[in-house]
Amino acid sequence: MTCHDAREAFSALVDGALGADERAALDGHLATCAECRRELQRFRDTVALLRGAAPVRAPAGFVDRVLEAARPAPWPRRLLRGLFLPWPVKLPIEAAAIVLVTVGVVYVYRATPELQQSVRLGPTSPAVTEKPRLTPEPSAPSSSPEKNQPQEQDKAGRSMEKKMAAPPPAARDEASRRAADLRDASPDAGRQKEAGRPAPAAPPVGGKVEAPPVRAGREPEVAQERARARAAPVPESRADAPRAQRPATGPSGVLSSVPPDVSGRLAVSDRAAALRGLAELVARLGAVESRRVDASDATLVELTIPREAYPELARQLGRLGRWQPSQEPAALPVQVRVVLRITG
Amino acid sequence: MEGRTGDDASLVDRLRRGDPRAFEELVIAYQHRVFGVALRMLGSRAEADELAQEVFLRVHRAVAEFRGDAKLSTWLYAIASRLCLNRLTSGERRMAREGEETLARLASGHASPADELERSELEAALHRAIAELSDERRIVVVLRDLEGLSYEEIAAALELQLGTVRSRLHRARMDLKEKLERFLS
Repeated sequence: MTCHDAREAFSALVDGALGADERAALDGHLATCAECRRELQRFRDTVALLRGAAPVRAPAGFVDRVLEAARPAPWPRRLLRGLFLPWPVKLPIEAAAIVLVTVGVVYVYRATPELQQSVRLGPTSPAVTEKPRLTPEPSAPSSSPEKNQPQEQDKAGRSMEKKMAAPPPAARDEASRRAADLRDASPDAGRQKEAGRPAPAAPPVGGKVEAPPVRAGREPEVAQERARARAAPVPESRADAPRAQRPATGPSGVLSSVPPDVSGRLAVSDRAAALRGLAELVARLGAVESRRVDASDATLVELTIPREAYPELARQLGRLGRWQPSQEPAALPVQVRVVLRITG
Repeated sequence: MEGRTGDDASLVDRLRRGDPRAFEELVIAYQHRVFGVALRMLGSRAEADELAQEVFLRVHRAVAEFRGDAKLSTWLYAIASRLCLNRLTSGERRMAREGEETLARLASGHASPADELERSELEAALHRAIAELSDERRIVVVLRDLEGLSYEEIAAALELQLGTVRSRLHRARMDLKEKLERFLS
């Protein structure tokens, strides 16, 4: 046995774990090697030192603290702990879940026309329309036109307002509602609204009809326009408005309270002839003209036409003049509400 | 591997039945041993206190899973050792504080002032030398020479082969012998 082998056996010797043969070999080596005997003595002293170390005692009160910690917490605390702890992990996850749900709701709402339609129908209930009735409509026909100093670029729009104000009180509410729709479709709409809020687009003076996008666009302006459109039919729910004076129940009665599906400008050389041609088209294609407003430089015509007949209408409008649709979504409703701004 | 003693078996049975008195008896019986392992491994009384509490709480929660093919003490040492080693390697551990009061408190109070001074110096050197061992050697020498576990119990607690236990223990003792050379005759 070498010195190295002998010293490797010290631990087993001290612990009494050596076999008889190993023990005999080690004893034989130690009998002849003084250095290994000294090393073994130091090794034994080291182990003795370790085993003689003062025992460690747990601090006072340790048992009580453990028993207190082991006692089950009241159920509300356990519930809260389960919901929120560890908070660095669970709170961000819960916050992200709320955001995801919100985004999902908004996405589904925007992707589902039926939901949007149901929201549009909402203001027809008295409970919802009560509030807008208390708020004066900035450009409603009841506001005195004389208070507004006409400006050249507003002339067409204001003359339309005067015309819209002309019907008797029984029809005034409906007229103002229509006027609000048509104002939204006119380039003057932005100027008629509260200061600082821009129109959906900046058309040239006397330019094309700018109707707010309904289905194709998803920009924030769309939401603003929808809100305006919903706010427009304020007088519709008035109790004193005779139901007989209202349009017959039908798609136009609902659709006219919202921005048109299609809008555009029809530039013609002879407006009167174009209007006659349009009337024939309306009759032939099964459309219904629901509103017409004449101004010196343009005539606004609102009509409702079945979806399948709209392509033919668009073709025929191109024959009547230069048809420039500014709003023509790919997906059209069953009944398409069209607002034409006929200039010429 | 040694089986459970009669007392252990009775205590475990009562623990499984949810006897609160049994848990208290367990903590009273093993508090110093578990705390001692934690203190010698972590070197901080505060950390050792926290970790020893965690050991008993785990026992309290998991006593139903105790298989009973080992001594209750071995199971406790296994949990304590694993928690200590995890904490030492996790990086979440607070930095060991220099001059921890632990070392001085280990001295005996029965010696004369001169002997006490000498013994304190020796104890301080001993625990400093233990603290300087690698974690895997330190836990083996603590369980063997300070807590008195057998090779087999250490192998079971640390889930090591017997040969690995023997080897690490021998290396740890040789390291300590080198570090404590000046105190040895």
